[in-house]
Amino acid sequence: MTESLRIVVGYTADDSGADALAFGARLAGATEAILEVVMILPIEARGGVVPRDPGYERLVKERSQRWLAEASAKVGDDIDQSLHIRYAESFAEGLVDAAHEFGASLIVVGSARGAIVGRSRIGSVASALLHASDVPVALAPAGSREVPISLGVTRITAAIGQRAGASAVLEASVRLGRATHAPLRLLSLVPIDLPSGMDEELADLTSTAHAREVLVEAQRALPAAVEATVSTATGSSIEESVRALEWHVGEIVLVGSSRLATPSRLFLGSTGSKMLRELPVPMIVVPRPTD
Amino acid sequence: MTHSQHPAIPHSEANAPLTTASASVDGADEHGLTKKGLSAGSVGLIGAIVIGISCIAPAYTLTGALGPTVAEVGTQLPAIFLLGFIPMLLVAFGYRELNSAMPDSGTSFTWATRAFGPWLGWMGGWGLIAATVVVLSNLAGIAVEFFYLAVSQVVGFFGGDAAAVAGLVANPFVNVVTCLVFILGATLISYRDMQTTQKVQYWLVGFQLLVMIGFGVAAFWHVANGTAFDATPVELSWFNPFEVGSFSAVVAGLSVSLFVFWGWDVTLTMNEETKGSRTTPGRAATLTVTIVVAIYLFVAMGSLAFAGVGTTGVGLGNEAIQENAFFYLAGPILGPLAIFMSLAVLSSSAASLQSTFVSPARTLLAMGHYGALPHKFASVSPRFFTPGYATVVAAVVAAVFYTVMRFVSEDVLWDTITTLGMMICFYYGITAFACVWYFRKTLFASARNVFFRLIAPFVGGTILAVLFFTTLVDSMDPGYGSGSNIGGLGLVFVLGMVILLSGVAVMFWQRWKRPAYFRGETLSRAVAED
Repeated sequence: MTESLRIVVGYTADDSGADALAFGARLAGATEAILEVVMILPIEARGGVVPRDPGYERLVKERSQRWLAEASAKVGDDIDQSLHIRYAESFAEGLVDAAHEFGASLIVVGSARGAIVGRSRIGSVASALLHASDVPVALAPAGSREVPISLGVTRITAAIGQRAGASAVLEASVRLGRATHAPLRLLSLVPIDLPSGMDEELADLTSTAHAREVLVEAQRALPAAVEATVSTATGSSIEESVRALEWHVGEIVLVGSSRLATPSRLFLGSTGSKMLRELPVPMIVVPRPTD
Repeated sequence: MTHSQHPAIPHSEANAPLTTASASVDGADEHGLTKKGLSAGSVGLIGAIVIGISCIAPAYTLTGALGPTVAEVGTQLPAIFLLGFIPMLLVAFGYRELNSAMPDSGTSFTWATRAFGPWLGWMGGWGLIAATVVVLSNLAGIAVEFFYLAVSQVVGFFGGDAAAVAGLVANPFVNVVTCLVFILGATLISYRDMQTTQKVQYWLVGFQLLVMIGFGVAAFWHVANGTAFDATPVELSWFNPFEVGSFSAVVAGLSVSLFVFWGWDVTLTMNEETKGSRTTPGRAATLTVTIVVAIYLFVAMGSLAFAGVGTTGVGLGNEAIQENAFFYLAGPILGPLAIFMSLAVLSSSAASLQSTFVSPARTLLAMGHYGALPHKFASVSPRFFTPGYATVVAAVVAAVFYTVMRFVSEDVLWDTITTLGMMICFYYGITAFACVWYFRKTLFASARNVFFRLIAPFVGGTILAVLFFTTLVDSMDPGYGSGSNIGGLGLVFVLGMVILLSGVAVMFWQRWKRPAYFRGETLSRAVAED
């Protein structure tokens, strides 16, 4: 038997952390992965003004251990999990280090406070991760904690564009589809790559045709045994296209990194950011493949 | 091992093992940890000195303490600054002993409770919180004055009406609103733990020291050139406290000068985490205090030589300028460069606001944790890992305190400094005696113990106790300090009494609401065995 997948959940004792943990647990349940729940505490002496106080640090650590224990109790016994406390200069840095330490293949974080329920908002942590991590990063939208863990993953949607990341997205989606036994959907968002100021109807025609082409090509690239449905969405903006599509509660979307990403690192491009704003389901961003 | 106990908080059953890497805290208690982040958590010698100096905030403390001290002791200001250091040093030794035996965020509160039981411990914590809240309002007050001074200097530079801007400070409403904005800003920074990075702080502290030296040099240059306001020759008698004349005056001066060294002890307690050899913390503390004392003496002497102790103009004896000396002296001494003094005091106050905010918040948190205050105080922000609730409460109290004082007293800054001195005497005194009592079984175990656990804290504590009671009695006189009074009683006395008695009242109320702590169930008395 191959070694189980490991998922790092960046936990904080608030709603955002609960969202991340719930989604991480749901995914771990569906893929039989091991959940590594990590709390990152700041290293206190990083500033030049406030002297360190070991007594206070101990108190914060004990509090964090209780937070982790409480969170872990909510996840239940069915999921293989371990709890960790790590110290780092920044939350994002600590999570990437933890992912390396455990050999994890995914980092899950929640969205920033102030997100509308069902939507994601990129906070500073997620932003740092989404622009530098070399491990795929999943963003759980606000309200993910309401989705029952037993629901599992009901569909994988791979967002395909004619971009450097496409093959990586496809590959990751196929793998995830296998692990979760969920059906695969290939999605092309039409407004992508449209020069502005084009005649709208003409634009619709050409871009729809272009989208179909991309999807057909992607389907051809799929391994023989993998079935996938295809879907194109039209709209005057990415946001509108995303809104027009139907989404399952238990769905996961995968997107690739932008052209701006360094090889094997992650960089959420503008299309991805726009999608994220409207997506009611978790999104996983995969790193750009190594050239 | 006499580690502080923690109240039995029901642990929810974890479903999984827990690991903690990076031993920034008592790494030894968990097994099999990877030691990551250890070096990242340490500070070197320079780092420790920078933190020490920014906690003392010499530019801020001097501008606040210079006038009130001169008002009491005249030209013997240098002598009193040197003398004021002695009790602080002695108590700091005891503080260090307690800190290494029982590291706890409650510091004085926790230690006094362990040594003397819940009642005195509670009052020790109250004294610490009161002192820091008082100083917070004073800090913000000084920052407000220098903020408008800096703005007026900039406005004046561009040909605007500088005097009108500088005059805004005198408007109590503008003053209070600005102060509240500053306190709000400091609270946010503290709550979100947005500390100035080490590098920026190096520059700020360096700048602060440079401006102070420049100020002193310029003052002496004016004296030599005959352009000083009231050239006063430096005399050896400045260093002789016996020339002050009256014991009461010495005590009053000392009680103010304690404040200028307050905060220095942090360099002594940064022991475990300093990089390099075991001697680093000792050297950091020694170097910090040497730098600070040298700066204090140089600037104090420069100011005295330049301005004298006359009661007119910028003479340091002039009551109108005493509560914020640099505010008035910077212009005459530094001329067009006076803006640098404003910036130095502002940056010094900002750094001090950051470090000062931490201590009442952490003590309140510890008191909540052990059940000496509502449990809410013990809450830690899940996002920023700061004592969130306690920070906000400390800020609100400081803001209310400043607002009330601004309207009650004509010399807020002066009165708050004097009250602060009294509070420092109170809780440092309790802490010093707690050290002697807690270590009572080990006092004679070694020559080292005799000095650090018995003689130093006992003598230091006794000096502070004498200062406390003398100040208390003297301050009943309506003419004490700034001369503010309520119904014929000195305002400082009234303030001190209000603070301490309200502490007693809150303590009894908590005793009734939360008896567990007062029965010693959450934090019991103990005595060191080794």
